[in-house]
Amino acid sequence: MSRAPRMLALAALLLFIALPLVQTVVLSFTATLPLDGVEPGQFTLLNYANIFQSPALVASIGNSFLYVSLNVALCLAAGLPAAYAFSRYRFTGDKHLLFAMLAFRVTPPVVLSLPIFILFSKLGLVNSPVGIALVHCVFNLPVAIWILESFISAVPHEFDETAFLDGQSLPGFFFSKLIPAIAPGIGVAAFFCFIFSWVEVVFARILTGTGGKPITMAINALFSFRTDIGLVMAMTVVSLLPGVLMIVFVRRHIARGFVIRT
Amino acid sequence: MSAQHNRAWLLVLPAAAVMGFVAVLPLLTVLNYSFHDIFTLESRYWIGLEWYEEIITSSRFWASLGRSALFSAIVLSIQVPLGIAVALLLRGTRHPTLYLMALALPLVVPWNMIPGMWLSLVSPSGLLGTPLAAVGFDYKFTALHTWALIVTMDTWHWLGLVVILSYAGLSAIPQPYYRAAEIDGASRAAIFRHIELPKIAGALAIVLLLRFVDSFMIYTEAFRINAGGPQGATTFLSLDLGEEINGFSYGSAAARAMTYFLIVITVVWAFVQVTRRREASA
Repeated sequence: MSRAPRMLALAALLLFIALPLVQTVVLSFTATLPLDGVEPGQFTLLNYANIFQSPALVASIGNSFLYVSLNVALCLAAGLPAAYAFSRYRFTGDKHLLFAMLAFRVTPPVVLSLPIFILFSKLGLVNSPVGIALVHCVFNLPVAIWILESFISAVPHEFDETAFLDGQSLPGFFFSKLIPAIAPGIGVAAFFCFIFSWVEVVFARILTGTGGKPITMAINALFSFRTDIGLVMAMTVVSLLPGVLMIVFVRRHIARGFVIRT
Repeated sequence: MSAQHNRAWLLVLPAAAVMGFVAVLPLLTVLNYSFHDIFTLESRYWIGLEWYEEIITSSRFWASLGRSALFSAIVLSIQVPLGIAVALLLRGTRHPTLYLMALALPLVVPWNMIPGMWLSLVSPSGLLGTPLAAVGFDYKFTALHTWALIVTMDTWHWLGLVVILSYAGLSAIPQPYYRAAEIDGASRAAIFRHIELPKIAGALAIVLLLRFVDSFMIYTEAFRINAGGPQGATTFLSLDLGEEINGFSYGSAAARAMTYFLIVITVVWAFVQVTRRREASA
């Protein structure tokens, strides 16, 4: 394609991607209801200031970070040994395990939401960050295992064998050799688990009916007869920031977030 | 080349335990509920396959299935060709990573925020609603407008995924392939058909799987646009299920959930068969 049409097509693409985001940012700086001394329609920073006036909104930011961090820690801790096993060994049932992980990676949360709610209610895991952190493993643990496995498989077998010949134990090898060697992979896996957990709302909603609401549910709670759209959009912008930061960090590895192993 | 080593199970055990607890156990619970008539969780009666019978003989189920299938067909036939075209376009640009980062932005927006963003955009005072009104087009919540908005919104949300995976596939093609094609005088279409398409086939299979399942089971985004309306015109499979869960008809909801799970599993199984066959023949 020659230069001019290509530039035009790319500009149209960027406009399409940017429009809803620009709309959101513009509204977040606009008074959509009469605020203190500001007429509707005018520029204001009050929407952002109002976030910090609302204990529910401030608490929701903390809740979100808490369960997402817990989920990342859980996925890495359980995922790393599993990824090592899939990369280095063949064992009875490995293909079936991979199939099961793929199935759960793509199972819509709405299918599992009812029994999860009932099960977690009995165990006292509703309205708690631990519950959401656990349930997000349904899709994040497979993702973490596949990403880590691809990084481990890029390390030659001799690397492990040398360590074992030196008399190192498996846990010792994990901490002193393997983790430093695949540090970028751990970062990439952590970022994707973080973001997939951050944007998920079906599980997050059913598990936070009366407390421990994450940002997404706190925003939902803002909708009423007379919704302050400006405040909603300011909060939406806040909810976008971790994702934007993540894109910058993993820009060379974005495709890995959607890896699938069969 | 890897050794057969059943002690590897010890390494897999923590992950398997977590998945067992949060995925397998709930799935078995749904399966069990789907065979019961449930008044309260304490008083339930075994009714065998009655819920399934009711579902597959109800016109409501087939209507939702049809709408979901149509939605997936539209979404795939727009997003896949468009995504490949954008990926090919990016191959010649100087800063492809910047474009890929921009395309990834919608992927990191919390799902329940996306409908709000689009509704503001098309509202009469919105950035898109204002120029549309100026040319005499007014967004109304008619069936056609609602469908168009959901398809556009979904394309905005997921186009980046198609582009990113296609681009990754294209980047793996060694430069000598192109030079050889140039020497042979191959046309642009022939290069795409014989060099590029085979190389991105693996990535495209993943795109098709992820995009099919996510669009077929679209829930949060579609619900917030028009709650399945007008008159059920955008009531997709998952919206039906959500309604039953909210209505506390647990037995019926469980049978519905199992039916959807079976559909998803069938698609995943087909994907695995195709992928393994292709890998074997490669």
